[in-house]
Amino acid sequence: MLELLQHGFSAVFSLNIMVLVTLGVAIGIVFGAVPGLTAVMAIALCLPLTFSMGPAAGLSLLVALYIGATSGGLISAILLKIPGTPSSIATTFDGGPMMENGEGAKALGVGVVFSFLGTMFSIAALIFIAPWLAKAALSFGPHEYFGIAIFSLTLIATLSTGSMVKGLFAGVVGFVVSTVGIAPVDAIRRFTFGLPNLNSGFDLLTVLVGMFAISEIIKVAENARHETRATVGGVSMRAIKGFGFSIKELFEQIPNAFRSALIGLGIGILPGIGGGTSNLVAYIAAKKRSKHPEKFGKGCIDGIVAPETANNAGIGGAMIPLLTLGIPGDAVTAILLGGFMIHGIQPGPMLFVSQGELVYTIFAALILATILMLVLEFYGLRIFIKLLAVPKHILLPIIMVLCVVGAFGLSSRIFDVWTIVFFGLLGYGFVKGGIPPAPFIIGFILGPMAETNFRRGLMLSDGSFMGFLTSPISGSFLGLAVAVIVWHLIVVLRGKRSETAEILRA
Amino acid sequence: MDRVNKRELLIGIAMLGAGLVYLFLTMGLPRKAFIDAAFVPYLLAAGMCVLGALQLLSARRSPEADGDTPAAAKDSADYATVGKTLGLIIGYIALLEWVGFPLATVAYLYLQFIVLTPLSQKVAHGRYLLIAVLASALIYALFRYGFDLMLPAGLLGFIE
Repeated sequence: MLELLQHGFSAVFSLNIMVLVTLGVAIGIVFGAVPGLTAVMAIALCLPLTFSMGPAAGLSLLVALYIGATSGGLISAILLKIPGTPSSIATTFDGGPMMENGEGAKALGVGVVFSFLGTMFSIAALIFIAPWLAKAALSFGPHEYFGIAIFSLTLIATLSTGSMVKGLFAGVVGFVVSTVGIAPVDAIRRFTFGLPNLNSGFDLLTVLVGMFAISEIIKVAENARHETRATVGGVSMRAIKGFGFSIKELFEQIPNAFRSALIGLGIGILPGIGGGTSNLVAYIAAKKRSKHPEKFGKGCIDGIVAPETANNAGIGGAMIPLLTLGIPGDAVTAILLGGFMIHGIQPGPMLFVSQGELVYTIFAALILATILMLVLEFYGLRIFIKLLAVPKHILLPIIMVLCVVGAFGLSSRIFDVWTIVFFGLLGYGFVKGGIPPAPFIIGFILGPMAETNFRRGLMLSDGSFMGFLTSPISGSFLGLAVAVIVWHLIVVLRGKRSETAEILRA
Repeated sequence: MDRVNKRELLIGIAMLGAGLVYLFLTMGLPRKAFIDAAFVPYLLAAGMCVLGALQLLSARRSPEADGDTPAAAKDSADYATVGKTLGLIIGYIALLEWVGFPLATVAYLYLQFIVLTPLSQKVAHGRYLLIAVLASALIYALFRYGFDLMLPAGLLGFIE
């Protein structure tokens, strides 16, 4: 393992990858910091740039964007009191008051350092858990993959925000869209309406760009005319020593950070929920375990440490099922999966066997990007603050053009450009209907996996459905899927709202 | 309250309608056996219809919960701007191949900047045009010459 990691570091320390990772982190931070711009947008925009790069360079850029965008949300959460991403909602609770109390620099310092520590913790977990899990997953057959796909679909549909019916519906619609094209096993054309362009179905990236970038642009248009300029709080990082807080404070926060990192990692591994939930759960846990819960919400660093450690610890967590099973946990890892596929790489257990060096190059790029995130966020803060003021009515149309270029670049077809508009409208419809888009994407990705393995599994067990239940792993996952739905139904029928839901409603 | 209920009801109708359309399309697939290429689509169509029906039921049964749902917030969306934005995007893509990326992009960006300009700010025609031309030229040159991506040149075919 060490040898492979060493090889990974020697690959990322080449000049071009270093430059790409630095740029990736910086662009990611901007997309994370500016409310309305997302990590998915950042990756979608930079994907066409990677078309002509090798897999190591291209994937290093993409993971750097992911790390930068996840962490960048804290800048606007503290300076504007608006979370740049849903992962930083809880950061505003204490970041905002600290800013008002004149402790903005300290709040940023704490946020940046614990983002760094959370990410590093999760990357360490990824490096140790992923190879082990990949080894175990090598023995998985169609029955097991079917069970895992159904469990993941159920989990994301029930755990995503909003009503369970809408979440499940979104997952089913994603699955439905994936049935367009040549069917697995039988190879007959389904729902192609005689259009040759539909024979291979919809490209994952066009679906993602449409659902998450184009729909966002349309949504922003709703309020663009009435937008008022946000006032960005000014902080000077020059006068402060170190990162703005003492060593004593750092050590005092270790139990809180460790607990939050475990929460972030655990939630990150589960499909469907990520930083958007873990930052709130970690905040609530920190408040409950604190000796002085009354200080929360008034500007105490515990309230920044918990969400920022947890949301960043989700990065390594979400990469575990992506790399070992090819299952993305959320929209960002789904678009990363698309990026892998562009470079001809299919994530899954075989990746660790056939492209071990590349996997460890990704690990090394993650570590490098995390270190650069710490440096850039702290010392380049003034530049990022200026970028927060870039008007959206200029920025969003340019992003739209880059989305068009990215879609066209996939296969040089205008058809793909129309596809992003179609899915943009569908995504906007989802927003207006209160239907969560994340289960749609997971349904779209896991649908073919579930159907193909269902058909193969049936062939292997001579048409008997019992094969799915008698296989211990498949049976366990299918049982868990049923348990998740039953548990969720009980919660809904009791009408009890979780604390996380209560905070989101406040 | 009534408005939200209607909204949830409409969502339920749309969900059920989508399920029925998909079921109708699935019925057109050729059948070979019980488990074939149409089996999963039938399951999905049934699932969509059931979920649509459940949504309709929940919209009818829980009017008291409506007042505090996020959807209950007053819809202050500026749909005129949304419509103009959509029109511009569709026009842009429709003209992309014929007019070409550089010119279509300049026109799209310039018009889109104007459409999205907040009411509190003045439309800066000169600045918008300059940004549109620079952005279009930069993106075209970057992808055409830097990454070998043959974006349609259209009317400016001579620059290839």
